[in-house]
This record gives sequence, C-alpha cells and structure tokens, in this order.
Amino acid sequence: MRILVVEDEIKAADYLRKGLGEAGFVVDIALNGFDGQHLIQEHEFDLVILDVMLPGLDGWQLLQILRRKSATPVLFLTARDAVEDRVKGLELGADDYLIKPFSYAELLARVRTLLRRGPPRETEFFEVADLQLDLLKRRVTRQGERISLTNKEFALLHLLISREGEVLSRTLIASRVWNMNFDSDTNVVDVAIRRLRAKIDDPYPVKLIHTLRGMGYCLEVQA
Amino acid sequence: MRRWPAQLSVQLAALFALVSVVLFGAIGIYLYQSLQQEIVWRDDQALKGRIERIRAIMDDGGDIDALGRRPQLYENMLGNRDNVLWVLNEQGRAIIEVNVQQLPIPHVPQQAATRLLDWSGSSPARLAVQTVELGAQRYTLIAGKLLAEREQMLNAYALRVGFAVLIGAVLAFALGWLVSYRGLQPVRQLAAQAASIDVQHLDQRLAHFGQHHELKTLTEALNQMLVRLENGFLQLSRFSEDLAHEMRTPLNNLMGQTSLALQQERSPDDYQNLLISNQEEYERLARMVDNMLFLARAEQANASIRPQRIALHDLVGQLCEYFEGMAEERQITLINEASHPLWAEPDLLRRALANLLANALRYGDAGKPIVIASRQAGERIEVSVVNEGPMIAPEKIGFVFERFYRCDPSRNQAGDSGGLGLAIVRSIMQLHRGSARVSSNAQQTCFTLVFPDRQDG
Repeated sequence: MRILVVEDEIKAADYLRKGLGEAGFVVDIALNGFDGQHLIQEHEFDLVILDVMLPGLDGWQLLQILRRKSATPVLFLTARDAVEDRVKGLELGADDYLIKPFSYAELLARVRTLLRRGPPRETEFFEVADLQLDLLKRRVTRQGERISLTNKEFALLHLLISREGEVLSRTLIASRVWNMNFDSDTNVVDVAIRRLRAKIDDPYPVKLIHTLRGMGYCLEVQA
Repeated sequence: MRRWPAQLSVQLAALFALVSVVLFGAIGIYLYQSLQQEIVWRDDQALKGRIERIRAIMDDGGDIDALGRRPQLYENMLGNRDNVLWVLNEQGRAIIEVNVQQLPIPHVPQQAATRLLDWSGSSPARLAVQTVELGAQRYTLIAGKLLAEREQMLNAYALRVGFAVLIGAVLAFALGWLVSYRGLQPVRQLAAQAASIDVQHLDQRLAHFGQHHELKTLTEALNQMLVRLENGFLQLSRFSEDLAHEMRTPLNNLMGQTSLALQQERSPDDYQNLLISNQEEYERLARMVDNMLFLARAEQANASIRPQRIALHDLVGQLCEYFEGMAEERQITLINEASHPLWAEPDLLRRALANLLANALRYGDAGKPIVIASRQAGERIEVSVVNEGPMIAPEKIGFVFERFYRCDPSRNQAGDSGGLGLAIVRSIMQLHRGSARVSSNAQQTCFTLVFPDRQDG
C-alpha cells in the first residue's frame, strides 16, 4: 500500500512517514504543493494525505488536480475546522478530514478505514481467542460460558472486537458508543472499559482488552 | 460643493446671520412698501386737489384768457420744477401752461371725472386729468408731477434699509459666534476630559455639568458607555491572563518532567512513562484550545444553530447511560424525570447537559441521587440538574458561569475542562436564545437551563 503525504511542517511529515512506515505502508513525502503535484501526476497512490495550508499549491488545488486523474481516497489535515472549510473539502471530493491536533492512533484508524474501500464488511459473528460475539443473537461467550452485558457494554465490546488490533481513542469510543461528539473531560470511557473488563477479562487468564496509555484501548491477543 | 464650516460655533453664528438677514430683510421690505404707498397716495391727493382748485377758479372767474395772462400766479402756486399744469382747449392747444421742464403736451382721453394715470414719456410722470365744459367751450385740465425725485428718494431709502440689513447680519454673526463659543465651553471641557481617557484610564468618568440638561444626558450616556467598555475590557484582559495561566500549568509539567528526564540516562520504561505523561498534558492543552475555539465561535455575532424537536426523555436517558458507570462508582443514582419535548440542537444540548452532569457527579455527595427534570414555565421549558452536596458560597455563585472560574482555586484536576465547562453551558444557552442559572442551598445545588418555547429557523 502506497501513501502520499503532502505536509509542509517538517516534524509532522517526519512522524507521519515513520508512523505509517511502521504500520507497513510505503510512504512518499512532499513538503510543498508543487512537489505534491509532481508526485500525484507521476505515480499511483492508494491514499493521499493532504495538509490544507501548503506553500505553492494549497490542499484544495491539489485535490482538484488529483480528482481529474483518479478517485484515490483523500484524507485532509487542517488546523482550521470552520464549518465552511469542511463543506468545501467534502464538495471538492475529500473523503475524510482530521483536525489538528489529532492523535496518531486516530490518524491510523482513519487511514485504515479509508483503505478498506467501500463499506466495512457487515460481520455478524466475531471471534477473538476464546471470546465470541454474535451480533444477531446479542450473545457473548467466553470459554463457552455465556456472559450477560448491558446494552452499552455490548456496543462497546462490538466496537472493540470489530476493530480487532486497532487502537481506539477515548474520543472515538465516546462518539461511537454514546454518540458524544465532543471531547469529554471525564473518565467515563475508562470506567466503562473497567466494567467491561470485569466481565470478560478479569475471570480469565488471557487478557484481551489492552490499555495503551496516552492513546486508547485495543482488543487483541497479545503474544 | 463648498465645505460646511467645521466648527459648531461658526456654523451657529452663520445660522444666526442667515436668520437675521431674513428677518431684517422682511421688515425692510415691509417698511419700504408702506412708505411708497403713503407717498403715492399723498401725491395723488395733491394732484386731485390741484385740478379741483383750477376748476373752482375757472368756475368762478369764467374768463379763461384772463387766467392765461397771469401765469406767475400758477408758477408761484405750483412752487417748483417737478410740477406741470396744462389747460387745453378743444383744439388741444395749451391756454395755460406751467411747464418748467418743457415737456410735450400729453395726449389724454376726454374725462368728465378726475382720473389719475401714469405717463411714461421722456420723463415719467403721474397725471390727473379732467375735462370741463365752460359755456360752449370744453377744456381739458391736466396736472402732473414728475416721478424722478420720488424714485430717487425711494431708492436712497431702499439702499439704506439694505445697508442696515447687512450691518445687522454681520453683527448677528459676530454676536452669535461669541454666544455659541461661550455656550459650547462645557462641550469643549467634556471633549478635553474624554480625550484624557485611554486604555490605562478606563476607570475615569466624565464630570457632570449640572446646569445643562442636554449635557447632563450626554455625560450620563457617555459614562454608561465607559462602564460597559471598562467591564468588557477588564473581562477580556482577565480572560487573556487566565488563559495564559491555565496554559502555564500543563506547560510547566511538560518542561519540568522532560528536562528532568534529560538530566541523565533513564530506562526505556522511564522514557515511556514520560511520553505518556506528556501525551496527557498535550491532550489537556488540546482540549482547552478546543473549548476556547468553541466559546469564541459561539460568541460570534453571526453564530447560528439549527434546532430540531428533541424528545428530552430519550436524550437524557442516553446521557444517564453514558454517566452510569461513573455514577455507580460513587453510589450515585441518576434519576431521569425529564419529559417535555423541546427545540434545540441535539449535539449542543447533549454537551450542555453532559457538562452539568459531570459537574454534579464531581461535586455531589456520594450516595445521594442526581435528578434531571423538566417543567413548563409559561412560554419556556426549563431543564434542571439537581444534586445534593456542599453549598456554593453566595459570594461565588455569581461567577460560576465565568470562564476559568473555580469555586476552589486549588482544585485543578488533570481531567477537568480547565474551568470552561459551565462557560460552555452558558454559551450554548445563549446560542439557543435561552439562559442558564444556578441556585444553591445547604442541601442541594440546582442548575437550570431555560429554553424559549419554540424557536423558528
């Protein structure tokens, strides 16, 4: 998978290259609009990450140039989150946008979502190690034992298990599970995770829900 | 176009002058016309009288020729060069002629009664004419007065009136300027005082000029404006200061921990812990910036929202589910008694109520319930969040919606919103054209959101 990052902030470009590289992507970096234009015209990418404010050509112009050529998914990075800016980006054909400052985990999650292409698979049955979740029957079992969860605990586990291996930030969890679309200043998500753990992890030797301090939570089998 | 005089006193003086020109001019014209009418009337009477006298002499004497032979008599009688007199026979020949200026004999109509008419010959004159029959003879009597002298006199009079008007206007201008200049003295003082007030001296007020009602009103209005400006300015500068202070705390943590870590070689665990701790501080800063931006946008004059009809009970139910875990850890029960549907933007309402609930959970007594309720109050719908807990001191309760205000200044938790939560609640309510209020007593604290009944648009 090849990703183009057009970002004039050198530190930001650097950590994006490093981070996306570690996640297994091939990353090209352009530090200004003209280099970005050149790379877009010469090569094929699976995803383009564009900063809006760029020297030379800005992100909007690059997006227009790109759209003349292909439907490659585009993720916008912007420090300005005025509603008009979002509308403009979406009208020009951006697929997603992230407002600075954002956490790297959030960026990686968005990149993976965009690269999945098309709607995510609607799976009805999940299985991680000995944990099973049946969406239709609303049934959760571990080691074959039925575990009873509240509605929100079930929704939280469904979110974690459907994004197995991905780090989910607290903001994302609050937004998806409780529809809280603003940065909450409480430890609600931590409490909810703690309660979920008490039911599906604590009684069992293999822990599945992991805390990544400063980043969020992740459900996976760790070696 | 010529520029209007910039000074108010000059402008007023010019207006005074204009008014006096109009006034004096009107009086002058009236006086001139009265005089003219009077003179015309007197002259006409004199001419008529003259005709009557000649006629009386002719009636008595009968001998016209004898009259004609004594012209000195008439000359004496007529007195001066302006007067003319003809007695014409039927052939139009002058029998008697007193005509110092040698005017030609005018052609006049036959007239039984005395008639007055204007004669415009080489020298304009006013004539009185009468035709009399004496025996078989018919005579025409013409008495006249040349107008030149009269015109001259009236012209001189008009000139003098005009001159008087001009002098009057100049005087009115000068006096008007003096009076306005003196009258506007307090305004200049006011201006001098106002000019001395700058950003450093916003606490100064304008002194009252008691004797003038208009100036008093103006001074009061200006002073009220100063109060508002001062408050706004103080709020703004205090806010900037608070903001800087609030950012100092996380920055201090970041700088201190990082420079300490760099003092010597550390284990990977230490570095990781440092980075994680830094990450938390960054998140705190980011949250603060987000909240600041939210507040700044909400206060923009053109900020608008798209309210929709909301089933309040369900929305509060979601919030209760969200906070359920936190509440249970403190043995607090969340009781949802909200029921009234209302018009609001769901995300904003959720955010406002979430802030109030977080607040109630933070400050409420453990083991006591928190009640979210709604009620109709006239046109409005009130949503309240009530918790049992320590009372907010009366001297502090007025400030709880202020940015960065904390009832307990030492309380500075890493997780809190940096003292902006309730300020955001207030902003959200202002966006909805409603309001937020708080009451507190020894048992419980109640935050209330007041929504207008229905918002269109």
